[in-house]
Amino acid sequence: MAAMSLLHRAAAALGSRRVVPSALRWGRFPELLRQSLGVPGAVAAVRHCSHGKKLFTIKATTYYDKRFLRLLRFYILLTGIPTMIFIIGVNVFVGQAEFAEIPEGYIPKHWEYYKHPITRWIVRYVHDPPEKDYEKGLAIVAREAERAECRRKEKEVLRFMRSRGDGPWYFSPTPDTLSTVRPQMATELCHVHPVIPWCLK
Amino acid sequence: MAEEPDRDVYPEPPRRTPAPNPQSAIPNPLNLVYAIFHYGVDVPVTAFREWMEQHHAKNRYYYYQQTYRRVPDLTQCLEADFPCIYEAELQWKRDYKVDQEIIKIMRDRLTACMQREKYDADQMCAKEKEQFTQTSKAYQTKYGDLGGFGNSKSCLMKQKHRMIDERKAGQQKVQH
Repeated sequence: MAAMSLLHRAAAALGSRRVVPSALRWGRFPELLRQSLGVPGAVAAVRHCSHGKKLFTIKATTYYDKRFLRLLRFYILLTGIPTMIFIIGVNVFVGQAEFAEIPEGYIPKHWEYYKHPITRWIVRYVHDPPEKDYEKGLAIVAREAERAECRRKEKEVLRFMRSRGDGPWYFSPTPDTLSTVRPQMATELCHVHPVIPWCLK
Repeated sequence: MAEEPDRDVYPEPPRRTPAPNPQSAIPNPLNLVYAIFHYGVDVPVTAFREWMEQHHAKNRYYYYQQTYRRVPDLTQCLEADFPCIYEAELQWKRDYKVDQEIIKIMRDRLTACMQREKYDADQMCAKEKEQFTQTSKAYQTKYGDLGGFGNSKSCLMKQKHRMIDERKAGQQKVQH
């Protein structure tokens, strides 16, 4: 492709004269070209001037690639530059905290355990204090422990009621169909279905 | 970037670079390079940093190291007392992290000593080496094959089995 365009350029420079390909290499030194060809006679010399004639070379479009990169840069820098300016300003003008021993009788606030000012701000105004997080964790554990204990007790009581055949829990009485429809099966016990109290599910 | 080593804690040996003793009258071209770096990079950066420090010195504020209260251990919790077990678990995790940092500090001491002494490390770093082997042995006995999912319960069970094995070994020794 490039060689073809060079050839075009060379041909255009010389008008309609057809040029031998090796003239492109030896164009400035016609004697050497004559020697390399081994042919006597006039040889066309390639004249290189003003970067050759500008040609409309046909190549695949880069518009979409360039547009993508342009838009990528734009949207990244749209928020990136203000963020970087803000962060640089904070680091230069506010500065980071220095380490110190806890003074006597002073209880530091929960954000005073961090170094960078932005981290301190986030911990102070966005996050919950660590004591609250700790209590939240303890509350979840305690609630799940109570539910597990309820379930365990319920299973144990059901086991006892089934094995002993009695129990003070609520059961729904069913009509005595066995003694009326099939009296010969009336000797078998009715199944009692205890209704599970709502609070334990 | 990794933290700069603290020069007070890990001191470097005194330098033994000889005083310059030029043998020729041609000035050292490297001095020009040093001067270019000094006036081109070092001085502006230092000036900017000093200006920044002046600003910071006006309103200074501090940060502290968090100290946690000790809570009852896993051995002091009742069997189904899950909040107590949860607190003991958190405390064990904090202690695990602290022990990891201790091991890192011991290792840093040893490597700093070896870097300092270079070829004399075998003789001069015996104390640091002894300290590091002892602490890492203790760390391995306590936290050693617990794995990534280790918790206070598995650690306690490991200790229990170690004590059982020691007792068995003691009894066998007494028998023989």
